[in-house]
Amino acid sequence: MEQRLQHQAKALLEQGKVDWIIGFEPGSLKFTTTPLITKDKNDADRLVINPFMVNNLANFLTEVKGRVGIVAKGCDSRSIVSLIQDNKVVIEDVVILGIPCPGIIDLGKVERLVGKDRDELDDITWEGDKVAIKVDGEKKEFPATEVLFDNCLACEFPTPQEYDILLGEPRPAAPNLAASRKNLEGLKELTPEQRWEFWENEFSRCIRCYACRSICPACFCQRCFVEETEPQWVLPMPRWQDNLIFQIVRNIHVAGRCTDCGECERACPVNIPLRSLTKEMYDIVDELFHYKAGMDKEAAPLLTAYEFEEAEDLFR
Amino acid sequence: MKQETEWEPKLVGFLCKWCSYAGADLAGTSRKKYPANIRIIKVPCSGRVDPLFILKALRLGFDGVLVSGCHPGECHYQTGNYRARRRVAITKKFLESVGIEPQRIQASWVSASEGGKFTEVVAEVTKGLKEIGPNQLFPEERRGDGTKATAPG
Repeated sequence: MEQRLQHQAKALLEQGKVDWIIGFEPGSLKFTTTPLITKDKNDADRLVINPFMVNNLANFLTEVKGRVGIVAKGCDSRSIVSLIQDNKVVIEDVVILGIPCPGIIDLGKVERLVGKDRDELDDITWEGDKVAIKVDGEKKEFPATEVLFDNCLACEFPTPQEYDILLGEPRPAAPNLAASRKNLEGLKELTPEQRWEFWENEFSRCIRCYACRSICPACFCQRCFVEETEPQWVLPMPRWQDNLIFQIVRNIHVAGRCTDCGECERACPVNIPLRSLTKEMYDIVDELFHYKAGMDKEAAPLLTAYEFEEAEDLFR
Repeated sequence: MKQETEWEPKLVGFLCKWCSYAGADLAGTSRKKYPANIRIIKVPCSGRVDPLFILKALRLGFDGVLVSGCHPGECHYQTGNYRARRRVAITKKFLESVGIEPQRIQASWVSASEGGKFTEVVAEVTKGLKEIGPNQLFPEERRGDGTKATAPG
């Protein structure tokens, strides 16, 4: 799969079909990847496909000019479609190199499971539906539910919805909702007051670095409401009240664009469980309007479309 | 000396110029009574109501927010209230899941001829707010005894 990707990427650049290739290359640390954005066909050999490609590369699509070949997992491809729906990206300018994704590995979970630091592990690979971890020369297999990110466990569309070249066979979806919703269910059981207090505690840690905003392909406003001063909606100081309002409104803004890729939670330097919010919104949108982000490039974006009769029970 | 009076909820109402605001006007000219708890803000269309308005009102210490516009199909701008409906619906549901009582965010359709319905809606919403008590969502600081201080405003 990896060789095919390198070959395809090189061919696209050579034939002049694309100006840019956006993909993953090995990161500077063990078991990490870093985005590779290149015009040089010789760089295509650095492209990799492995279980650590966390980033949602759709984020870079709006930042390069010209035609782009982009590596996309299932969730990333939906983000790209969502950008096409919003007229942020022209479909003719994008060549999607789709990867049927078996799920991304959460190194934190691996460390807890194996009881070793990531530097002490030899190798981690996908092995069919399982994940093989090689440690001290010994290979152990673990079920995917124990080592994948929560959002990958809930993944409904591991195969890209939209692609020009598919690398590998389409994967059937096998969402394991019970395993992925552990945090969410805990929150559901609380009273509204307890839930509010939970978020108050979480957001008193927030330092307003806006990493969640920068990493999110759906967060593409030229000027974010938090930076507006007339009127000033929230104060720029990191106080929990304003932090929480920022995140609530951010979630409302990305409703119908969020594909549950989980990048905001991974980017958060103070480990706020942001996915509990984004997934909640994802479910609300699905429940009220039967809408899932990035499924149909012809469809109108969620908040600009309407049906004549919907959500009437919420109105007096 | 400050007199001890019963707590009254403060409600902010975003009323569409063409229907609900005119409905409120009609309630007034027909000498109908409705609770004085509502502070009305006229907006050109219910589609003008940004979820930020709702959050800002709660942040400022209002106990509830009412968004009211033309009935579906009767929008002066054809589709404004349909868009408002989606926006308000996700805002209301999402805030509920974060832990804000659903009674605090209310929405209604009131036409220019429904002065009576307007008084009913305001009375019901005010009653609901009295049941759940003051807005203590965004206290500026915690008191020494751990209870929340009510936000000013």
